[in-house]
Formats: sequence, structure tokens, C-alpha cells
Amino acid sequence: MKLWCAALNKPWSWHWIAYPGVWFTVLLPTIVYLVAVRRHRNTDRKTMWTFLTAMVIFWVASDWPVGTLGAGYLASVHMLEYVLYTLVVAPLMLLGTPEWMARRVLGKLHLTRAHEWLAQHLFVSGLIFNIVLVITHSPIGVDTLRSSQLGSFAMDMSWLASGIILWLPILNPIKEQRTHSFAAKMVYLFVSAGIVPIVPASFLTFASYPLYSTYELAPRVGSLTALQDQQLAGITMKLGMVPVIWGALAVMFFRWAAQERAT
Amino acid sequence: MLPLAGIVVLLIASTACAATSTTSTSGSGFDGTVLEPPQPKPEFVLTDTNGRQFDFQKQTAGRLTLLYFGYTFCPDICPVQLAQLAAVMNRLPDVERNSVVVFVTVDPERDTSQVIRTFLDKFDSKFVGLTGTVDQVEAAQRAAGVPVAVKIGDGADYSMGHASQVIAYAPDGLAYTQYPYGTRQTQWVHDLPLILDRS
Repeated sequence: MKLWCAALNKPWSWHWIAYPGVWFTVLLPTIVYLVAVRRHRNTDRKTMWTFLTAMVIFWVASDWPVGTLGAGYLASVHMLEYVLYTLVVAPLMLLGTPEWMARRVLGKLHLTRAHEWLAQHLFVSGLIFNIVLVITHSPIGVDTLRSSQLGSFAMDMSWLASGIILWLPILNPIKEQRTHSFAAKMVYLFVSAGIVPIVPASFLTFASYPLYSTYELAPRVGSLTALQDQQLAGITMKLGMVPVIWGALAVMFFRWAAQERAT
Repeated sequence: MLPLAGIVVLLIASTACAATSTTSTSGSGFDGTVLEPPQPKPEFVLTDTNGRQFDFQKQTAGRLTLLYFGYTFCPDICPVQLAQLAAVMNRLPDVERNSVVVFVTVDPERDTSQVIRTFLDKFDSKFVGLTGTVDQVEAAQRAAGVPVAVKIGDGADYSMGHASQVIAYAPDGLAYTQYPYGTRQTQWVHDLPLILDRS
């Protein structure tokens, strides 16, 4: 039985594959969330639907066919998964987490201080996000982790965790920890997720040869060569981040302007 | 954040270099599997995709020759090996001009000349495709020193268990190396010019 998407080393097929590990990983937090929200009647519907949207995207990015293609066939889909995990699922999860729930979860997991510390130290949050990005997109990282279900699971979870860490200083559910100025948050997001990732993306886009043996030696899907697929992965990393990062920057800018006008 | 960018550059560069570095086997300078002693080019005559007789030894004389035994219904290894060769030839025009890729089917019952041509054209229309009778194809495999392919399964959807390596014959007519499934493009690009020099 396959629990999580990993490289299959066989020709791609559109025959559905069940990944119960993915369902469990998506359903467990969703059910716990819904039960908690039902008990605590203070949660508005928008927040709840934001979290549920995050979980649906998380499921789509992790399960067959996207998860399977990204794990063993196409570097471009691997990159799409990364963008979805870090730039869509992670911020939506933070936006969908009510403050009371964040306090309770962090308290139970003894993560309150670590959470607060990460939220305050922008450089550390940005560093962690980019270290995870580099390790999980280095040839040795991808080829090692994608070859097993456990490794692939670890990679996907590290993406989600690094995405949450990236967005924590900006979308912190706990009000008193939102201490950074708009300018600091904008510079932080622009550098951490808008500038630094261009470096690895450029390696992928402009490399002369395929960097990952996982995707180079995989049976081809469609008409893309391994190198074209890798170039598409680089472009996905570069351009996939643009709407989210610039969108977030625009929102912060206008909120900042509104705040200035009000004072 | 500048130190951060520096770390990213260093990490990516080091891993990218690791992925593209060359490790020669047995100190020969080749990345492929070295054949000791070098194997002479085999003699066999089969039929090409135009229906003409193709004398392998004669018609590839003086050229770098990459010989591969496979079949067009192969779901995984053959398409990957041929795609790798096509990509590498595209990167090395000097090598391509002085070389020939020869695909010999191990499944002549299903692989007609037309089927082989259509299959090879997906990779490179210059690849030579050869077929023959079952006996001729088996004799060609024996002459090349690879295990004779075996049929696996019954009915129309059978598969073939076959040698997966590409044998590289230098222009001097000797094979110094062969390349198993899993050979990276960087390894091909490293070795082919070296083999071409063995004239």
C-alpha cells in the first residue's frame, strides 16, 4: 500500500492510485478543526472557509495526480507543489486559524515561545524558509528524498512548515505578536520570498543539463524533454511567486497607506 | 539579507556541481562502464527502416557508433535511453556529425520497419532502426555480446526482457565502454568526445 507520493520508477499512467496517508494527513487536522470550531462558536465563517480552502489545496497538491507527477515524473509539477504549499496553503492556514485556536494548539504543543521568537526574528524566519528551499531543491536533496515515501513526506511537510514560518511574521494569528511595521514586513517578504529564490530558480532555468536524476531518468510524460521540464520548473518558481508575493505586498502597502491616513 | 543570498548561492552551486561532476570508472577517464579488453564491433546484416540491407560493421566504419537493443513497445527503459541519446546529440553537433545511433529491435514480430521508424522519429529521425528475422536478431545480440532478449508474458501485451546498455564503438571499431540505463546526460557529454578521439 502506498501512503505518500514518491517516485514510482515506472511509466506514467492516468490510472488512479490511492494514497491513504495523504487522506489521513488532510482529514485529521480538518476534522479536529471543524470539531473545535463547532464547540467554540466564536469563529466567523470566512475564517473557517479560508482554512478549509487551504486544506482542499493541500489535498490537491499532495494526492494523485499532482503529487504523483511531482514526486517522480516532472520537475515542473514538483515546483508547482512547492509554490502551492508555501505560498498558498501556508498563508491560508494561518489566515484560517482563529486566535483562540492558535493559543490552544501552541500551548498544547509547548510551542508558544518558539512561535513568538520566530515571529519576532524576521531574519531567522527568512533564513529557515530559504534553507529549506535550497535543500529540497538541490539535486542530492530531491533525488534522495523523492525516492522513498518517507523522504517525500518529509519534503512536503518541510515545505509546509517553512511556508508557515515564512508567513508567520506577517499573518500571525496572535494579535500581540504582530509588532513589525508594515515597512519591515514588506522588505522581509520581498527579500525572503521575492529576491532570494530567484537564485535557485535561475540555476534551474539556465542549467545546460537536467540537474535531478529523478526527473531526467523518469519515463517522459507528454512531449517535454527533461531539460525543458526543468526550465519550466525554474520559470514556475520565478513567476509562480510573483502574484502571491506582489499581491501580499500590495495589500500591505494599501493597509499601511490607510493607517497613515487615519492617523 | 545579503549573507542569506550568499548561502543560497553556495549551497545551490555546490549541489549543482556535485550533480554534474564526472567520476570516471577504473581510472580510464570514462564515466561509462569500461570494457576490458575492448570489444570489437560485431558483424551482422539486418534490414533498415527503408527495407534495405544494413551491414552494421561496414556501414558504420570509421564513425562513433552507439548500438542499442530494444523494442518499440518498451514502456520505460528504451524511451529513456533514446531520449537521453537524442538530447546529448543535440548538445554535441560535432559528435553527432561523426556518429551513428543504431537501434536494433529485439521484438521483430511486432516491430515492423514502419513501427520502428515512427518510434525513432519521436527522438531523432537520424537514428538508424534495424530489424530482421527472430534468428537474425538473436544472432546480432550474440555477436554484440549481450544477453539474448526473452519474451515475458503471453498474448498481445507481452514484454521483452532485454539488455539495457548502449554499447559505444569508437571510430577505430572497438568498444571501450558501455552505458547502462541510468546514465546521466552529463556522463554522455563527458565520454562521447573522448570516444570520438579514439580513431
